[in-house]
Amino acid sequence: MKNLRNSFLLTLVLALFFACGGSGRQSTSKIYIVTTTGMIADAVKNIADTLFEVEALMGPGVDPHLYKAKQSDTKKLLAADVVFYNGVHLEGKMAESLESLAKTKAVFAVADGISESRLISTSQFSGTHDPHIWFDVTLWIDVVKYVNLKLQEKYPEHKAHFQQNTVKYLNQLVQFNTWVAEEVNKIPDSVRVLVTAHDAFGYFGRVYGMKVEGLQGISTVSEPGLKDITALVEHISSSKVKSIFMESSVSARFINAVVEGCKQKGHNLKLGGTLYSDAMGAAGTEEGTYIGMIRHNVNTIVVGLK
Amino acid sequence: MDLVIIITACLVAVTSSIIGCFLILRKMAMVGDAISHSVLPGIVIAFMLGGTLGSWYLLLGAAAFGILTTFLIEFFNKRGGMQHDATIGVVFTSLFALGIILVTVYARDVDIDQDCVLYGELDHVAFEEGKNIFGLLIPYTILRLSVMLLCVLALVVFGYRGLFLTTFDPAYAATIGISVMAWHYILMAAVSLSTVLSFGSVGAILVVAFLITPPATAYLLSDKLKQMILLSLVFGVSGSVVGYYFAAAIDGATSAAIASVLGAQFIVVFAFKAVQKKYFSAPNIPVV
Repeated sequence: MKNLRNSFLLTLVLALFFACGGSGRQSTSKIYIVTTTGMIADAVKNIADTLFEVEALMGPGVDPHLYKAKQSDTKKLLAADVVFYNGVHLEGKMAESLESLAKTKAVFAVADGISESRLISTSQFSGTHDPHIWFDVTLWIDVVKYVNLKLQEKYPEHKAHFQQNTVKYLNQLVQFNTWVAEEVNKIPDSVRVLVTAHDAFGYFGRVYGMKVEGLQGISTVSEPGLKDITALVEHISSSKVKSIFMESSVSARFINAVVEGCKQKGHNLKLGGTLYSDAMGAAGTEEGTYIGMIRHNVNTIVVGLK
Repeated sequence: MDLVIIITACLVAVTSSIIGCFLILRKMAMVGDAISHSVLPGIVIAFMLGGTLGSWYLLLGAAAFGILTTFLIEFFNKRGGMQHDATIGVVFTSLFALGIILVTVYARDVDIDQDCVLYGELDHVAFEEGKNIFGLLIPYTILRLSVMLLCVLALVVFGYRGLFLTTFDPAYAATIGISVMAWHYILMAAVSLSTVLSFGSVGAILVVAFLITPPATAYLLSDKLKQMILLSLVFGVSGSVVGYYFAAAIDGATSAAIASVLGAQFIVVFAFKAVQKKYFSAPNIPVV
């Protein structure tokens, strides 16, 4: 029993030692908005500009499917005045926690702003949708409208300010959407095939008329089987697709396997560069904004395939 | 927030440590890890039947496969005369593989695996709205885990003799009319249900760590079952508290920090025992 007493003492000492730590956000008087992905944070920043403090939990290069919460993330969510998350199961189990948080504070899934008929249903099971909604700019326009609506409801005193910013940003997005469509149209029809690591570009392909082939399924957890790779190699070699693309938040291993396989079939498949899929680029760079991220992708795809 | 998270961790620590003591003594420590993998087909099948990713349905499928896992392990162990470690390995890899096949064939387009639909995040208990009990807001997770703990406590307190005898001396237990199989299955059912329920609240790594590490550390210090259980509770609970503040200090994942602290406890005690053995005991000289 002496051991017991010693353990208690040790615990007390260690607990006191660690209790001195602890971190959270620096308290400011500004209204604090927390989002899960950087894309949503970007939308909020465009609507509220410097009025609010906006922060995304999943930073540049973080795969939301594999995101692990830090303790400070919990504190941020608890401290937030409003929380926006993607929804349609992008955040996995975390969405359940956010739904329970919604009972006590303003928490919104931005995908709720998109009518269900415009979401891509996945597989034969009802009620499951492709979560990568940001790759269709027209869908993202709906998201921005929804965020604007929710912010106006929550902070009616800033209504005019939000409305003005939103109209400005929506104009940008509409023009940007036209630009994306024109760029993709420059790729010859026969090679307008986008081959990437996982099925993140379903919406992009649907709205801008590109065939999309992904190695992995929607989730990045299961690894592609040998059959997936062989079938893809066969397909690429026969249709003479010029380039294949990496993704910022997904491992490059499988893409390299496909390139190697095509080489053996006598088809010289190039690496077309890296696309941003589930996360934006570093903050402060052009790719660290929603428009910059999509623009980078479109430029990379057009150069690689033309 | 701090208190709610620490209490949640402690509830899982206490439940798992108690059960873990029996698992370790039966040389079945890895059964918790096995269950964390072998529930995948249960989740996928429940999803295929139910068609949604709502968690209650999937939890049921997971629990069913948790129990199936322990039954299969015991079946092959008894009928095939194999060691527990081998049967655990065979059963959980096969079931996990079956789950992967189901995902790739039937649910390729759905983000489904234990990580997404079953394993919870310890910290997120802080987001839960509580139920008002005597003026205190108590999160549902804590209520659920408390009920689980009470069930396990009841099992161990009222079934202590049966569990004790069938763990240490099954042959003797059988001769005095205690059913070794029955107690084994009762324990295994408790393991599956409590682990699956705990996975949903605190995630897999922490449950497996609580099941094995505190009992293993306690095992180094004691050779009496009651004392071992008490010691493992002390290690489990203190590890939760220290681990929580450790995570706060380095801003890491809370569950991983707690699991690391449990590992550190084991190493410290192990080193302590090694030093003690080398310098403070003289096994070759008979004690007068």
